[in-house]
Amino acid sequence: MNTNDFRPRVLVTKIGLDGHDRGSRIVAAACRDAGMEVIYTPPWQTVDAVVKLAIEEDVDVIGISSLATDHLIVPKLMKALRAAGLDDVRVVVGGIVPDNEEPMLLEAGVRQVFHPGSTLDDITARIREYASEARQARTAAGV
Amino acid sequence: MNKPVAATLLEPRADADPHANWEREYRESIGPDRSIENVSGIAIKPLYTPRDWARYGSDVPLSYPGQPDYTRGIYATMHRGRTWTQRQLVGLGTPADYNARLLAMMASGTTAVSLIPCNSVYRGYDMDTVDAELLGTCGVVINNVEHMQRSLDGVDVGTVSCAMNDPSPFTLLAFMLVAAERRGTDWRRIAGTSNQSDYLSHFVANHMFYRLSLPGARRVLMDHIAWCNEHLPRWNPMSVVGQHMQQAGATPAEAMAFTLSTAIQNAEDCVARGMDPDAFLPRFTFFFDISLNFFEEVAKFRAGRRIWARVAKERLGAREPRSWRFKFHGQTSGVDLTRQQPLNNVARVTVQAMAGIFGGLQSLHTDAYDEALACPSEFGARIAVATQNILREEAHLTDVIDPLGGSFYVESLTDQMEQKIVSIMKIVDDAGGMYQAVEAGVVQRMIGASAMRFQNRIDSGEQVVVGVNAYRVDEAEDERPLVERPDPAVMKHHIDEFVAWKAARSQADVDRALDRLTRAAEDRADNVFGAVVEAARAGLTHEEICSRLRRDLGFGHPLAVV
Amino acid sequence: MTAREPGESPLVARALAGDRRAVARLLTVFDDDGADARRAAAELAAHAGRALVIGITGVPGSGKSTLVNALLGEWLRRGRRIAVVAIDPSSPITGGAVLGDRIRMGEHGTHPDVFIRSFSARGELGGLSRATRAAVDCLDAAGYDRVIVETVGTGQSETSIAALADTRVVVCPPGLGDDVQAIKAGVLEIADLLVVSKGDLPLAQETRREMREMLTLRRPVPEGGWKTPVLVVSASEGSGVGELVDAIEAHGELRGRGRRREGGDERAPELQPIAVPADANDAPAWRARLAALVARDGLCATLGISLVDGGPGRSEVQMRVEPRHLNFNGGCHGGAIFTLADTAFGLASNSHGPVASGIDAHITFQVAVKPGDRLVARATEVRRSRRIGVYRVEVACTRGGGDEQLVSCFTGTVYIK
Repeated sequence: MNTNDFRPRVLVTKIGLDGHDRGSRIVAAACRDAGMEVIYTPPWQTVDAVVKLAIEEDVDVIGISSLATDHLIVPKLMKALRAAGLDDVRVVVGGIVPDNEEPMLLEAGVRQVFHPGSTLDDITARIREYASEARQARTAAGV
Repeated sequence: MNKPVAATLLEPRADADPHANWEREYRESIGPDRSIENVSGIAIKPLYTPRDWARYGSDVPLSYPGQPDYTRGIYATMHRGRTWTQRQLVGLGTPADYNARLLAMMASGTTAVSLIPCNSVYRGYDMDTVDAELLGTCGVVINNVEHMQRSLDGVDVGTVSCAMNDPSPFTLLAFMLVAAERRGTDWRRIAGTSNQSDYLSHFVANHMFYRLSLPGARRVLMDHIAWCNEHLPRWNPMSVVGQHMQQAGATPAEAMAFTLSTAIQNAEDCVARGMDPDAFLPRFTFFFDISLNFFEEVAKFRAGRRIWARVAKERLGAREPRSWRFKFHGQTSGVDLTRQQPLNNVARVTVQAMAGIFGGLQSLHTDAYDEALACPSEFGARIAVATQNILREEAHLTDVIDPLGGSFYVESLTDQMEQKIVSIMKIVDDAGGMYQAVEAGVVQRMIGASAMRFQNRIDSGEQVVVGVNAYRVDEAEDERPLVERPDPAVMKHHIDEFVAWKAARSQADVDRALDRLTRAAEDRADNVFGAVVEAARAGLTHEEICSRLRRDLGFGHPLAVV
Repeated sequence: MTAREPGESPLVARALAGDRRAVARLLTVFDDDGADARRAAAELAAHAGRALVIGITGVPGSGKSTLVNALLGEWLRRGRRIAVVAIDPSSPITGGAVLGDRIRMGEHGTHPDVFIRSFSARGELGGLSRATRAAVDCLDAAGYDRVIVETVGTGQSETSIAALADTRVVVCPPGLGDDVQAIKAGVLEIADLLVVSKGDLPLAQETRREMREMLTLRRPVPEGGWKTPVLVVSASEGSGVGELVDAIEAHGELRGRGRRREGGDERAPELQPIAVPADANDAPAWRARLAALVARDGLCATLGISLVDGGPGRSEVQMRVEPRHLNFNGGCHGGAIFTLADTAFGLASNSHGPVASGIDAHITFQVAVKPGDRLVARATEVRRSRRIGVYRVEVACTRGGGDEQLVSCFTGTVYIK
């Protein structure tokens, strides 16, 4: 599906306890500059809040920014998204994720982990692709 | 046979200006040149000469250390008389884990305590109300007096300087004071700092530390300063922070400007409350980030020192020299460290530390090489302290005071940084002062723009980051350091113990203590921090204190500006 | 929530049954103007009509989102189900947007009886997006009995929300000066309720007085009609919120629901007469009257024409020449200059009260006008009788910091009704 047919809706958020949001704000701005519609939240969102937000805002991609160790509860988020029927929504994680913990995230359903060194062009391009995937999955599932 | 060197070559051409000669030869040999600006936006030349230093050639081109304008240092002796404090941030796991690490660090050269609590503590929560996976990964989990006591076992707070990295309402200091009281330590001997007590910087750029509303935090800080001035004569209750803003993307000049403006705001708040500048200014300290921009950092600190002395005297009306002293702690910037090829970070930290030392700091924390990944390992933390020891003992950096003073470059850059910093401070003044400027988002927007500019320079490759966007290497799995996490079983035990302890308290005592907090919050003439200390004594937990004060003084919602 | 009608699309049926995701998916269908949008909108419209739609506008920084959060809390306390449609402007260059209003709406976003959806204006200038009407119908049909539409309004673009909302609330931050001036025109036109936000600040009461004074410029309200109140609310202190909700409910009772469903042009604002000042020397009152007229003018908004000054039989309007005003040769389009002059002409000739319609107009173009120039058109009354008026307009141009030079002369004749 051509992403020029729609505007990707992306949620940029942080769960857990860390509050460093320089990265998430930069990514949110970059997504906007790439023509996407970004729902941006401050840090410390609960898993339930993220799920409700994802439903109401009908987001295509959720971008989780994680600096310290908050990625450790991303599997909880993935589980909650599935339980709410949001299998089509794509989730990416960006920030500091130790290499030995990345497989655990991918197994839980995270689409990609962006490590430091990823350029903004790279990140926005992939998010756009994943948004397309999400829309196709939605159509296929008849949601 | 050698031709004799022509006599004319040995004599300077009488009609030529050596500067012009150099310039010509430089331009002829340099090939494609580039114009360079430092991070703060000041143009940097290839060479600096006496012409670049405004005061060169005057009778006293530069002040002396310990004398106005303090450019060369706030004391006559500086590090030669008393070396900088090696105040390494330590925080991880349970109190027992923390205590073990602290004692090991002190044995290897750390001379003061700087305790960093768990993120759950920053958010105002107790360990039994958050996801267990997140506990103790970035700081020590302390929720009551007993935990603080255990954490500082073997350390006499009456003789070792302690810094608590804990924002309003400063519960950790309250726990520490009550623990000291129980041990019989006289509070008047306790020295240290309420590190990062600056709520404005947290509102702008470290939302994790931001617990109470802006007006609530303002009130508690003032109460805290007044209370400490009365009960803890050797304690610095005010630590104005430039670190978070710089780490959030502010340029060094912006970080210094915003920090000084914050200090002015807090000082004016103290004056409005009836305090005498000469009483509270000597206990104002600063906390800065030190980046890899070596000379820019040195100039930033020297300029800051000069500006602060002027501000304290002329704007705030302090009469005594000890009120004009710009005392600061520097922390090497974690933002410059990379996850790729982590051992390279040892070189980075060394350069950053040197910049801080040449900038004239009073206290230094050096990051461990694996700090980019998680809490530092003991191995990495040891190297960080050794770095400081090497700089002092083997590089002899304490032998000479302000050794870069008189460098045409450093003096010129100090002057230019001063101008830039002052111009940014004017923007804040025009916005009505720092409190109003941050409330309106002015500061946040400026920082966001600088952050975006910097990111673009990295993305485009203009700013090279070794190992990341250049000089990349495929690293084997085992080259990356393993991340240490607290032992889940040990943490579970800590939680269970805590829950049992809570249940064993008298609910009547707890309710009474909570009411006391509310009464203090509601009465502007009462001292909230005094009530927090009483609450600690009565056995309230960290979350109980924080949530009651959040209820009464407002929950902190920082302004998010994209 | 009603039973499914035969032939209804499944998504609509699920939305009517209370499926939150289905509602959200439909809102996206409307936003993207998808294939089924029209059909779904019609199906939902059939089930809509119960909700009270509240429009909340105000300049950026006026405290709208904080106010909405406080309203959510109060309505939840009263047992209501509330939906919020928050509209943010989009980037004119990339088309993207950061939809951040939600973040300031605080803790109520997680309540099951609250539904918050953010829209990008997607290039629309009136403060609403094209999907807003269908979105409101959808939320109405899904069972939310209060639907708040929150958008940026600057006094000249509140007109779109005027036709959509049953109760129109304009939020003004305390303070004197440009922000307050900017909303005056829109305020006079459409506000059912005026709220001075951040009521804890010292200037709040003074701003309230100023607003009340401005409202006296309106024609007096007929017996039994709605008198626009000015309320002071401090969301941070929690004061005034209950009163605001009471006032909204009262207005809803009086005026009824479903204004958006009444026929007619979606964008036509209610054309209440604007008071003609009694005193010819009351400069602020004349300016306010002419500003209110400009606020109704669609073409002025499109071209960025604003009022400088005016009085009985005279007016001065301005416009800066931007890319949208240029012709294919890169100079200022003659039609843009004509519109500016014609606007001055229309204001001067209509200033006295009776409607005056142009029947003849001529313009000369003397000097080339370039992008970046600032144009000012000044109209004066040459002659006016009971039925005919003749006006002259001079258009002057300032380039850079230079002096004014005359670029165009315009003469127009009106027939007075």
